[in-house]
Amino acid sequence: MRNILAIAGKEARIYLTTSTSYVVFACFVLSTAYFFQLFVGQFQMSSLQAMQYGGGAMLEQLNLTDQVMYPLFMNVAVVFLFMLPMLTMRLIAEERRTKTLELLMTSPVRPLEIVLGKYLAALLMVALMLALTLFFPLLLQIFGATTMTDGMHALDWNTIATSYLGMFLLGASFVSIGLLTSSVTDSQIVAVMLAFFVLLMFFVMGSSSATQKGMLGDILTYLSIADHLESFVRGVVKSVDVVYYLSVIFVGLFLTYRVIDAQRWR
Amino acid sequence: MAVIDVENLTKRYQDLTAIDHISFQVEKGEIVGFLGPNGAGKSTTMKILTGFMPASDGVVRIAGYNVFENPIEVKRRIGYLPEVPPVYPDLTVSEYLMFVARLKGLRGKALHSDVERVVNRVGLTSVFERLIRNISKGFQQRVGLAQALLGNPEVLILDEPTVGLDPRQIREVRSLIKDLAGDHTVILSTHILQEVVATCERVIIINRGHIVADSPLKDLVEQHQTQSARAMSLEEIFLSLTEA
Repeated sequence: MRNILAIAGKEARIYLTTSTSYVVFACFVLSTAYFFQLFVGQFQMSSLQAMQYGGGAMLEQLNLTDQVMYPLFMNVAVVFLFMLPMLTMRLIAEERRTKTLELLMTSPVRPLEIVLGKYLAALLMVALMLALTLFFPLLLQIFGATTMTDGMHALDWNTIATSYLGMFLLGASFVSIGLLTSSVTDSQIVAVMLAFFVLLMFFVMGSSSATQKGMLGDILTYLSIADHLESFVRGVVKSVDVVYYLSVIFVGLFLTYRVIDAQRWR
Repeated sequence: MAVIDVENLTKRYQDLTAIDHISFQVEKGEIVGFLGPNGAGKSTTMKILTGFMPASDGVVRIAGYNVFENPIEVKRRIGYLPEVPPVYPDLTVSEYLMFVARLKGLRGKALHSDVERVVNRVGLTSVFERLIRNISKGFQQRVGLAQALLGNPEVLILDEPTVGLDPRQIREVRSLIKDLAGDHTVILSTHILQEVVATCERVIIINRGHIVADSPLKDLVEQHQTQSARAMSLEEIFLSLTEA
C-alpha cells in the first residue's frame, strides 16, 4: 500500500507541476462551460415560450436538472473521451521511452503496485476535473432558485450526486483503458491514438445496436460505455451500470498488470 | 558463499544469442570490472542480474536468493545504475531521491537522513532543489548514482557509471566507487580500460556473449607477459582477447 502511495504521489506531483495537465484542465473547463451556457440559453428560450403559450402545465415540466444539467453531463462524457487519454498517455509509455521503467522494475516494488499507483494518480485527476465542474450546478443553485416557482431548490441535488458518481465511474473506466494503451507502447502518440480508438468503439457500439437485432444487439448495447451513464444522470443508480463500469476498470487494470508483469518473462 | 552467483546464464533474442552460458561468482566486498567491447552483452547481463529482464537459461543468485523466484528480496539488496540514468526530468533532485528512497522502503527520519547521506557522498548539494531537466548531464549521471546508493544496498550494479562526466568528475566517481568496496559488492561495466585499472581488483572480460578472461587484474597482466614473453599493456590484452 505504501509503495502504491509513493508511486501515486510521484505521478500526482508530475501532473500538477507540468503544463500538460493544466492545458487539459483548461480545455475541459472551457468546453464544458460552452455547453453550459448553450443549455442555459436553451432553457431560457423554452421557459419564455412556455410562459407565452403554454402556461403553468408546461412550465412545471421545465426544470434546470433535466434541461440543463442532464445534457451538460451527457456531453461531459464526450469531452472526457477527448481529454482523459491525454492525461493517461504519458503514464507508462514515457517511462518506457526514458528507461525509467527500469528503475521501477528493479526497485523492490510489485508490478501490481506500479499499476495501481499510476491508476490512483489518474483517478485523482478525474476527481479534480469533475470538481471543477461543480461550479455549474452551484451557479444554477445560486441564481436559479429565485426564478423558480418553488423558490427553494433550483436543482435536484440527489440527481446531481448520482450524476457525479456516474461520471466518476465513467472517467475511471476511461483512464483504466488509457493506462492499458499507455502500457503497450513507448510512444505517447500511439498510446493516445489507441485509447481514442478503443473508447470511440465503446461509444459507437450503442448506435450500431439499433441495426443489430437479437442477442448481438443486446450485447452491443450492454457494452456501450456512455449508455450506462444515462440512468446515473437521471438520478438512478442501477447495479447493472455500476457492475459494468467496475468490470471495465478491472479488465483495464488487469491487462495493464499483465503487460507490465510480462516484462519479467520476455 | 558468493554474494553474486551466476550459473550458465544465457540470453537469446529471436535470432541472436546475446550471452551464452556464462558463469561467475563475486565474493562479498569485491569490486569487479565487467569489461567488453560495445555489444558484448554487458548491459544484458546486468539487466538480468537486477531482475529487469529474464534469462533464457541459467540461474542468478544474489545473496542466496534466486532472481527469478524471489525478485523482491533480490531487488531489496541491489542498487542499480542503468546505462541511461533513470531520472524524471520534471522532478527536482530532491523530489526524485525522496521518491526512490520511498520505493526502497525508507520512511520518515531514515528516509531524510539517507537522502542527505547520498547527496553529500555524490556531491549534489548545489543542485538539490533544481529540476533534473535543468541540470547538466554530469549531474544527472550523479543523480543516477545517488539513487543506486540509497538504502545502502549490499550489491551495487553500475552500468558505465562515468559516461558523460568530465575528467574531474570521473576521478571523483572512481574514488567514490573504490570507497564503496568492503561494505558493498560492486559490479561495474565499462568499455574504458583505465576505469578498470583505476577502480577494480578483478576483471571479467566478455566478448560476443562469452567470458574470455576472469582473473585479478595483476594476474591477467602477468599471465600474458609469460605467454608473449614481453610486457603487454591491458589494452593489448583486451584487444587480443576480444579479437573478432
